[in-house]
Amino acid sequence: MGFLTVLKKMKQKEKEMRILMLGLDNAGKTTILKRFNGEPINTISPTLGFNIKTLEHRGFKLNMWDVGGQKSLRSYWRNYFECTDGLIWVVDSADKRRLDDCKKELFVLLQEERLSGATLLIFANKQDLPGACSKEELRDILELDAIKTHHWKIISCSAVTGENLLEGMDWIIDDIAARIFTLD
Amino acid sequence: MDPLISIENFSEKPNKITALTKRELERQLNIQKRKDDKELLSASNEKLEIFETIFAEKRSHIENLIKNSRNTAKNELADHFNTISKEILTLQKYVAASNIFLRHYDLQRCQNTLQELTNKAKYLENELLPKKKFSFKNRAKERTLKKKRKMKLIQHCSSPKSVERCLLRKIENCTVVFKGTPSTLHLNHLNNCKVFTGPVSTSIFAENCTNCTLVIACQQLRLHSSHNVQIYLHVTSRAIMEDCKDIAVAPYNWIYEGVEKDFENAHLEKKVNNWRCIDDFNWLSEKHSPNWKEIPENERIQRWEEIE
Repeated sequence: MGFLTVLKKMKQKEKEMRILMLGLDNAGKTTILKRFNGEPINTISPTLGFNIKTLEHRGFKLNMWDVGGQKSLRSYWRNYFECTDGLIWVVDSADKRRLDDCKKELFVLLQEERLSGATLLIFANKQDLPGACSKEELRDILELDAIKTHHWKIISCSAVTGENLLEGMDWIIDDIAARIFTLD
Repeated sequence: MDPLISIENFSEKPNKITALTKRELERQLNIQKRKDDKELLSASNEKLEIFETIFAEKRSHIENLIKNSRNTAKNELADHFNTISKEILTLQKYVAASNIFLRHYDLQRCQNTLQELTNKAKYLENELLPKKKFSFKNRAKERTLKKKRKMKLIQHCSSPKSVERCLLRKIENCTVVFKGTPSTLHLNHLNNCKVFTGPVSTSIFAENCTNCTLVIACQQLRLHSSHNVQIYLHVTSRAIMEDCKDIAVAPYNWIYEGVEKDFENAHLEKKVNNWRCIDDFNWLSEKHSPNWKEIPENERIQRWEEIE
């Protein structure tokens, strides 16, 4: 399947990317997705399963997969790994108590062979809340500097205010594009 | 007879003699040592006796103080309990200082007695002194309450600002009130608590709550690893639960002055309440989850007198 997809991608004139959004529950994954897409965010329910959105941005077609982060859903994350070009890991920067969990889950993901080629963007979300960790603090706490297997970047953002969401998306798109569309 | 053996026997003889004298010496030394030990022990016995008399005296003194507290005037009660706790503390220090010569058993017994005295004093204090009420109305942006145990307290937090994150952690037997519109609320390890909130503009995340009553309004509710919790809920999107048991829900019914305005400020629709829409992640069948139920109308609490 991997090879066929590569062929399919090369044939496609439109530049398509598959981006997977993961993170603990209550991190704000769906809110980021909806805010980015310009949809209202005050009706969002905790995600039961997953949401898919196809967005057009800067001439790229982005297939965004947003999978629920509840403990009982995490074992299903692996069903979404195939053909992932970019992984967005969303962190609730104000929930200091669960940062340890957050780190563990992230490092389990990074072991995954099917995600080995993916670009990793870490969104330090909820910066609008007082007491939220800065991205530098998160970089230390989550031990991001230990990640050698993926291209990664941490960007602080707020899904509620929309701050830095575009910057983050632009970075991940550029990084993926530089890798997979160099052929055209 | 083998000559070799006889030579061996011969050479052993003087060895045996020296060994015997050595043993004799050792024996005498041992006797001396035992004597010394006995003397030492008897000395410590005397000390132990003194300790026990002093300890018993102080103990009865404290017990008398505790007994007298019922007859003490109300305005002197606080001082009275202060003296008691000071006395207990001094006694504790005395025990600690004597622990060099105390046997493990004695030490434990003393500690048990001390614990008993402390418990008695605390129990009486709770009974005789009116419960402490704390209230603070400053507008600290982040509120954290940690490790308040076995205390009944009411915290009124009011804030006109909507960007506020509230966290309650490791709290027992408390009633906590959040007035105004917190932006988000985390509840963690609550036992036997009542929590009241004005409309929370985003999500409430509750974990490890037992025997609690929550009167809460929010956009999203996530409830994890909790049991025996009654929730009077206003939720504008949906609520989920995971690893929970014995959850009972009813619609939010805390009405206070300015509640409508708070709902507006929090951008929560007052008319939309999906309190019945609870998704149980441990129950995927079409049938109703056994982990939660609605509270029948006649069993719902109508007035929240404790906070009015």
